[in-house]
Amino acid sequence: MAAQSDMGGRTEFFGPVVREPNEPVFHEPWEGRLFGLSWFLIPLIRGQVDAVRDAQERLPREVYLSGYYRRWLAGFETLLVESGYLGPDELDARVAGRSSAAGPLQTSRAKRALQTSRARRALMSRALRVMTRPVLPRWLAAHVLPLALGGSRPTLQRPRFSLSDRVRVRAEQASGHTRQPGYVTGKPGEVVAHLGSHVFPDAHAVGRRARPQHLYTVSFQADDLWGGTAEPGTEVLVDLFESYLEPM
Amino acid sequence: MTDAAAQRVEALESLLVEKGIVDPAVVDKIIEHFEADVGPLNGAKVIARAWTDPAYRKRLLADATKAIAEFGFGGPEGQLIVAVENTPSVHNVVVCTLCSCYPWPVLGLPPSWYKSPEYRSRMVARPRTVLAEMGLELADDVRIRVWDSSADARYLVVPERPPGTDGLDETDLARLVSRDAMIGVARVRSPGETDG
Repeated sequence: MAAQSDMGGRTEFFGPVVREPNEPVFHEPWEGRLFGLSWFLIPLIRGQVDAVRDAQERLPREVYLSGYYRRWLAGFETLLVESGYLGPDELDARVAGRSSAAGPLQTSRAKRALQTSRARRALMSRALRVMTRPVLPRWLAAHVLPLALGGSRPTLQRPRFSLSDRVRVRAEQASGHTRQPGYVTGKPGEVVAHLGSHVFPDAHAVGRRARPQHLYTVSFQADDLWGGTAEPGTEVLVDLFESYLEPM
Repeated sequence: MTDAAAQRVEALESLLVEKGIVDPAVVDKIIEHFEADVGPLNGAKVIARAWTDPAYRKRLLADATKAIAEFGFGGPEGQLIVAVENTPSVHNVVVCTLCSCYPWPVLGLPPSWYKSPEYRSRMVARPRTVLAEMGLELADDVRIRVWDSSADARYLVVPERPPGTDGLDETDLARLVSRDAMIGVARVRSPGETDG
């Protein structure tokens, strides 16, 4: 069964796209608070956003579909409990007014990670204050942040594919978190760009070690994806990791 | 429902602050940053320069992350930005079918419709129809390229400069460039042109 998050081409989700005039950045104050919290939480939980996406994808379907920030909230709750930063009932108890003091950290990993918590938090806070300046120093924006925040990693492996190569997306999707969309699975396409090598999200999301992989932009003709319902003169370009692809 | 979520986030924040994980003053700063500093105005400045400075346009299309950093824009969701240019025969549009990837440093946070199941499911399969419904009718001979930002790259559409703008400088041009045009679901209108 396709993951609930994997929506491309799924007719059950089709419908009109409705714009909201003068939409605010955050509809409710809690959305902004949660967004701000996420900047502290993502670096805490394996860095990068793969684990957060994975946690959201594991939520019950109705929770995933209940809204963007609602699934963020439920995803972070899951991750914080799984990694020991929150006790299993701690948040419920706090909401119900049953606990006054925050409980201890639940796992030794969480404790180790926060042993130097005051220093760590001060450092994080300073970094986040710099990153939220309206205008950043050019060297920081161009060179430091892309490396510090991004998934780009060097590899000694040579790229398996070259520009203009015909490729086919492998016939199976990974069972857990993956960035291989269902609608291109098994479909033929052409490599149109090589985007360097990057952390492999399927492994990284669950804390599994894996070599960085080459990442390619692959162009798919609409006919190959949608058959008789394809719109003429359209193509879809998807960024795909090397292990998703097979030569043709 | 909203109250329940609000209460839960408040409780979560209080626990994280007590555990020494979160600094609430920095949370304030992040919210303020996204409400006041970051938004489509950043991207509009980039596009206006690309329209007026051919050397800059070349740098933008070759390495958008670095070209955008010339303005001091960068940070989360902007680690690898790719600029794709519209021409009279090719129209580009951006979606994220797996989540809601979006180039924050140049466009701010995405609007609700971009994050909706309707847009995420349908734009890859019926782009011409969806664009027409959103008010952008493209001629049959215009090729549509839909970019599904499924991995590390975030895409920025460089719209076509509208006619009747020869006398405008970079600042005036930037005012014409909308968020929707940089996602690829609208074109940039000439000055004085109205809806439709």
